[in-house]
Order: sequence, then structure tokens, then C-alpha cells
Amino acid sequence: MKSSNTLSLSDNKVKVLLVENNKRKANEFMNALDRSNYHIVHVSNTGVSLLKEVDMFLPDIIIIDIESPDRDMLDSLNKISSTAPKPIVMFAEQEDTQLIDILVKSGVTAYVVGGVNLNRVKSILDTAIARFTQYQGLKDELETTKQKLTNQRVVEQAKLWLIQTKKLSEKDAYHSMRKMAMDNGQKIEDVAKNILALASL
Amino acid sequence: MTLNNVIEKPDLSIGFISLTDCAPLVIAKEMGFFKKWGLSVDLHKQNSWSTLRDKVHSGLLDAAQMLSPMPIASSYGLDCLKTKVVAPLVLSRNGNAITLSAALYETIKKQHIHQPYHSDIPLSSAYLKEEVATRKMLGNKIKLGAVFSYSCHYYQLVSWLQAGGINLQDVDIVIIPPADMVTALAAGEIDGFCVGGPWNTQAVRTQIGFTGVTSLDIWPGTPEKVLGLLQTFQENNPHTIQALIMALQEACEWLEIIANRFEAARLLTDSHYLDMPLDNIAPSLLGSCLTFHDESPRSVPSYNQFSLFNDRVGNCPDTIDGEMLVKHMKQQGHIKDGAEGALSVQDIFCSDIYHQTLALFSSKITPLNPLGSVLSSQELKIS
Repeated sequence: MKSSNTLSLSDNKVKVLLVENNKRKANEFMNALDRSNYHIVHVSNTGVSLLKEVDMFLPDIIIIDIESPDRDMLDSLNKISSTAPKPIVMFAEQEDTQLIDILVKSGVTAYVVGGVNLNRVKSILDTAIARFTQYQGLKDELETTKQKLTNQRVVEQAKLWLIQTKKLSEKDAYHSMRKMAMDNGQKIEDVAKNILALASL
Repeated sequence: MTLNNVIEKPDLSIGFISLTDCAPLVIAKEMGFFKKWGLSVDLHKQNSWSTLRDKVHSGLLDAAQMLSPMPIASSYGLDCLKTKVVAPLVLSRNGNAITLSAALYETIKKQHIHQPYHSDIPLSSAYLKEEVATRKMLGNKIKLGAVFSYSCHYYQLVSWLQAGGINLQDVDIVIIPPADMVTALAAGEIDGFCVGGPWNTQAVRTQIGFTGVTSLDIWPGTPEKVLGLLQTFQENNPHTIQALIMALQEACEWLEIIANRFEAARLLTDSHYLDMPLDNIAPSLLGSCLTFHDESPRSVPSYNQFSLFNDRVGNCPDTIDGEMLVKHMKQQGHIKDGAEGALSVQDIFCSDIYHQTLALFSSKITPLNPLGSVLSSQELKIS
């Protein structure tokens, strides 16, 4: 239910509902927003209970992780009720395709309620993009590091196989792999994988 | 010249939702059909249809398994910017079903105790009339779940309700993601749902649901999932799209061999795909629709159809199907009167691309025999 307290300053604050299961990610986003301008509520509920949350809090804007399964439900809200939040794209003009793309790529999206001033929403979106992109970056970095480690392990194993079966020194084993890679225009990891595949025959 | 040498973008990211009818994508990957046609495909599981759509629109995914009304919704800019998405291939038909909660089913049985309801599968929604009236008196409604606003599930649910004389004002249709549907039914948040496999089977297995109708009883043979991609991507990568169509065509045909269906079910259990026990996946791929925990399954031979054996028309997108979907979208007020789409229905369900591709390459499809298929290792040549 909407607050009837007209004296409260919080009535001028933009009400932000953040739907995010990752607590750290949620905290970083919330800390980045100036609390004197925003009233932020963070929920990690899903399904029908999330809808109840939306009904109770009546947010001006909902910020949601793009990977949340609840997006389809929120997408459908604008058809059920006229005051319900609409996808951010319905406020964006055609030339704002870029904004939508940036949001999607940074792993976040938003739903906005009709009456709210778009400029105030923009600054929330900017914050969301900045925070979530940073997170996306960390995730990608972790992925790359994991990949690198796996590649190193494969190269080590192939090298060991060459040392043991071909009686090569460690240096020669590595050099012969590097030569094969250069001759065939392959990455050394791929050469290593081929060697191990042959070795397992 | 081989097709492999002219493919503009051999590395593709393709999105899917973990449902039984994502099988063509999984089979094309696991059985090597993508590879045979010169593609290296990464399949990306998506948690929601809206996100799958947004990622295709913004180019994060090159293509995706889409609900058949989805490219139309993109064209009209429903909950998104008007975007030109085309569907050059039909992936599946007849995979949805309507499941009611065990409690509602028991109520219906009591209300119709003197009628032979058992022989009345497929269940008519007329059986709900009494319960709808009771709830109206109490000031509430039967609540049914569908997976997405612009989905065959939604329109099939509406058609089923209307066919039995239920007034749409007297029921609530809510959108719930497929993976949450069974939980919502178990928690009593909804009284039933229309969803694809494996969720109907899971509801019956866990004894919380009764599956009385399949989409075959409502809209027989309607395309439910299509391959969707940006029109600009198709224009910039014509050979890639040809290879993609051919790989998926082969996968769909492979799936029509009953001996292959069980293998498909096994592959789908993997955590990268459905992450679900074989018990819940296999029945609907083998023509068995579980009904209720203590009742016999129903034989539905065309449950989850991916192709038509010996007739490739089964995978060809058809303007008539597209127009039928547009009609339903207009009836439900999803497409407003006078609204104009970014693409015509003919351009969305682009049968010409499908026909051109098949005319060039269908001779390279490995012939199947019912005892199983052998992949040809021969090079692909443009004839």
C-alpha cells in the first residue's frame, strides 16, 4: 500500500527495488547510490513472492540481474496493471538502442513505472551499468584465468609425455612442441591436446 | 568449392531454454551435425525468454531457439524495441501440455462422479465450469500459469478455455518461468499451467499434477519453437545460415527415428542441458504422456515432433502459421489495432531461404535407417 505520510522526505526519493541474488553485488550497487536521493530495497525473492514485494513497495524502478529467471514475469506485469512497471525499452527512444545494448551486455536490466522522471532514472542506470560491468569483468577475468591454468596443465602433461616416451630433455620437449605449433599455425595448447589425444590411443 | 570454406562465421553462440524440445540443438552438437556442416557452436542455457530475446537483439547471441510468436513480437516491438528477427527453420511442434493441480483434479472428479470423465481425455475445460462458478462466489479465480506472454502456451491455454465455454474474465493467467512452474503448483500459488516438457511429466511424477490435454489436442501441428536470428545477421552471413539450417535439419530428422529418441533423452539429462532425471525426460520423447500418478499414461505418438519422416515440409516455416499466430496475438490485445510490424509475416517466416538451402544441400544429408544412423565423413560440396 502507498504511504499516506505526505510530510516524510522519503516521498521525494526515487524508490528503487533491486532484485539480485548475489549479496556482494547487491551491496556494491546500493553503496554506490546516494541514499539521500534514493530509497533502496533489496530483495532476493523469486516467483510469486517477488510479485507481492513489487505490490507492497510500489517501486519507481526495478533493477534486475539479466540472468534472473523472474524477468519473464516482470515483463508480463505491464499487461496486467496500468501502474505496473514497464520494461526500460518502452521508455527508450529508437535511438537509444545503444543504452539497451549496454545494459544487456553489462548483465542488468530495468523496469520503470510511468510517472518517474527519466533523468533521475538515467543516473541509476549509469550506476547499475558501472557496477554490473565491473562484476561482469571480474567474471570474465576468472574465466580467462581458469582457462589459462587448464592450458598450462595440458602443456605440462604433453611435455612430460614427450620427456618420458621420446626421451627428450624438458627444454627439447618444449621446443619441439613450439615448433609444431609454429609449423601448423596452431596454439601450443592445441598441439599439446593433440599429443595427449595420440598418447591415449 | 566446399561450404566449409565460405562460412562467414563458423563460431556461433546459440541460446536455448532447458526444455525437452531444445533437443534439435543438443543433438546437432552432441551427434556432430554442426561440425559436419563446418560450424563450431557453443550452446548457452538461458534463464528467461526475455533475456534470450534481448541477447539476440543486442548480438550477444547469434541465434536462439525461440517461441514461434517471439519473432512477431520483436517485429511489433512488444516489450522491446521494434527489431527484425527472422525464423528460417521450424524446430518443433506438439510439445506443450496443460496440467492441473492434483487438488483441482480431485475436485473435478467429485463434481462429475456420475459422468465417465475417465474416457474424457483430452479433458475439456468445460469440467472447470463448476469450480470457476464456486470461486466467483467466493471472490477469487482459478489461476493458471503460462511461460511467456507471447508464447503458443499462452494462446493454447486461451483456446482451450474458450473451447469449453470458460469466460477469460473468470480466470487469471500469470507468467511464471518454466523451471518455477512445478514449484508454484506444489505451493498452491497456481491451479494449473501450460508448459512444455519435462515439466508436465515432473508434476505427475511428484504426484502434484494431472496432465489432461496436450497441445496436439488444441493446436495440432503448430510450430512451437523456431530458429530465430536477426535479419541483419542472416544478410551478412548467408552461408553460415545455410550451414546452420542444414545441421539442424539433420538433427531434426535424426530425432524422428524412434530408436534415437531414448539416446536423445539421455543426452538431455546432462547438467549443461536439462539437468533432470531420465524418468522425467524420456516419456514425452517416446510418445507417452503421463496423466496422473495412479492412472495409465496416454499414448500420444506425435508428442514432441521435430520433423516429418521423409517429408521436409515439416521444418519449413509457413506464412499461414505466422498469420494464425498474429490473429491470436491481436485477439488477446497483444498486438494493437493499426500497429505496424518492422517485418511482414512472409519476411519473418522466410520459407524462401529454407527452400533455397534445401535445394542446394539436401543431397548431402546422410540417409537414415531405422536401425540408427551413420555420419558421413565426406566433404560437403556445393552442387
